[in-house]
Amino acid sequence: MTKPSVPVGIICSQSGPYQAMGRELLKSALMAVDEINNANDFDFSFTPHVRDPRGVVSEYHAACDDLIRNVGVEHIVGCYTSASRKQVLPIVERTDRLLWHPARYEGFECSDNVIYVGASPNHNVLPLVRYALDNITRHFFCVGSNYVWTWETNRVTRELVTAAQGSILAERLLELGESTVDHIVDEIVRRRPPAVFNTLVGSSSYEFIRAFHAATTAAGLNIPMLSCSLCEPELKVVGPASAGCITSSAYFESIRLPENRAFVSRWKARYGDASSPSVDGQSTYVAVYLLARALQRAGTSNIAEVRRAAAGLRYHSPQGPVWIDGSNNHCVLTPRLAVSNTDGQFDIFWEADAPVKPDPYLTQLDVAVSTVRETARDDASPNAPHLRIVK
Amino acid sequence: MNKPSSFSLRGRKALVAIKDERDASIVKRQFERLGIDTVPWEPGGAVDGNADVALIDDDFLPLTSPAQRALLGRGPVIALLGTETPSRLKLVLELDPASFLVKPLRSAGIYAALVMAFERNERTNELKQQISKLDQRLRSRRVVLAAVLQVMHSHAIAEPAAFALIRRTAMEQRKTIEEISAEITARGYLPRATG
Repeated sequence: MTKPSVPVGIICSQSGPYQAMGRELLKSALMAVDEINNANDFDFSFTPHVRDPRGVVSEYHAACDDLIRNVGVEHIVGCYTSASRKQVLPIVERTDRLLWHPARYEGFECSDNVIYVGASPNHNVLPLVRYALDNITRHFFCVGSNYVWTWETNRVTRELVTAAQGSILAERLLELGESTVDHIVDEIVRRRPPAVFNTLVGSSSYEFIRAFHAATTAAGLNIPMLSCSLCEPELKVVGPASAGCITSSAYFESIRLPENRAFVSRWKARYGDASSPSVDGQSTYVAVYLLARALQRAGTSNIAEVRRAAAGLRYHSPQGPVWIDGSNNHCVLTPRLAVSNTDGQFDIFWEADAPVKPDPYLTQLDVAVSTVRETARDDASPNAPHLRIVK
Repeated sequence: MNKPSSFSLRGRKALVAIKDERDASIVKRQFERLGIDTVPWEPGGAVDGNADVALIDDDFLPLTSPAQRALLGRGPVIALLGTETPSRLKLVLELDPASFLVKPLRSAGIYAALVMAFERNERTNELKQQISKLDQRLRSRRVVLAAVLQVMHSHAIAEPAAFALIRRTAMEQRKTIEEISAEITARGYLPRATG
């Protein structure tokens, strides 16, 4: 007997400025869809309807409208940037659909029609800056892309650093896609800051990391670089210059969990040995699974029922146990810190000892206290993220 | 003590007067996410004067009791607008709102409206303090003028020198010019200056 089919919209840009990440999202979504369709665990199959807005913000609105109006989807997976999510938000709210948003973002949003599967700011920026303040320096040179992710990341960083009597030595911004980085690298070499916080994205980041590595090596400098966004496919693009970057993320390919080992081997079997899953790709995979499991639990695709069913539904994903916090539709997940190596992988050196409740509005952030006390109070995840060596 | 940041809303208390149940539940849920305590209120009921902010639905306007208006005036008011007609806006303006939201409500916008209301309130309070200080100084100008004239006469000096002498005396005695001027006019002579 054929299973009933549930149409799912997938919106990922496969061309345009962040096409590389868009393709990662799509590869992961389709892999999850195929696995779900071939599994006996679900009473339905997914029919994916893929739309490519080509990185043009206004096209996200049209793509979403088409999926809802013409295809009749109730669930959409995708949108990489906050700008694209904001385009889709009014339509999914007006038509009462659910957007399963996989990417990490800067927080300060909480729509009932979005399930935020990626990391919240308390999962990525906070642990990284706390670690750097405790172990590296209190003085940072910030370089980032001129958009909301950098603005908000720098704002939080400044609050934490200022409370620790440190300073932001500089805040240099480049337009998205800008690849002229030499003037910033020259300034870094001249001023020799104790650490550089890189919130550049895409090609700007790749150019910067290469130029930074070349210039600091030539000058005999060893300046640590911090990042909240670098991932394995990007390490491959940048090459050996990307080694040594201290990175915060909920997912690394090197996570030593059986679920992840199995996921990575399925990934490589499908996309080739040289290919690596990325944090946002893995998150897209998780989003499709969370949707499938919520649909299965709800027994209907009705939005309110699915949202209710998704809340608290624990899934042992490649990144470890994750679930949706029903009070804010964001994901409970495990923050990790790692340093990139010359093999294009990350060596994980810290992870929270339990999944951490999402805090999209940073209501629990007290800049003057340690991360331990900052962790949101939640019976489901009582443990604070103490430092723990996982090597 | 540091003043609380307008961006951090945890622990604040909000008086909420919203007619529509759906709007009220959206506000309640968003407030829970932000760590804000909600105190439901209906015009006519007793006002909790300890609230940090009040959300008032324009469907409840005008507020009939002047006492209620006065109590609401202690913290910033966020008006919930159902219509933009001038007649309704006139009633809303009577509340002197620090921010507003348009109905039907969404979770988006509530945080921004709160931050703006707290920040606007903070800045308005600073301005009020500054105005009150300037007002006091303006009123004491008469005393300063009288003191300058007295010193000009008693010391046979011109007005700039008299004022400079008063200012120096005030600085030496760690008092304001207005305070020292009041002493001069009361005693009839310049308090002994050292140096």
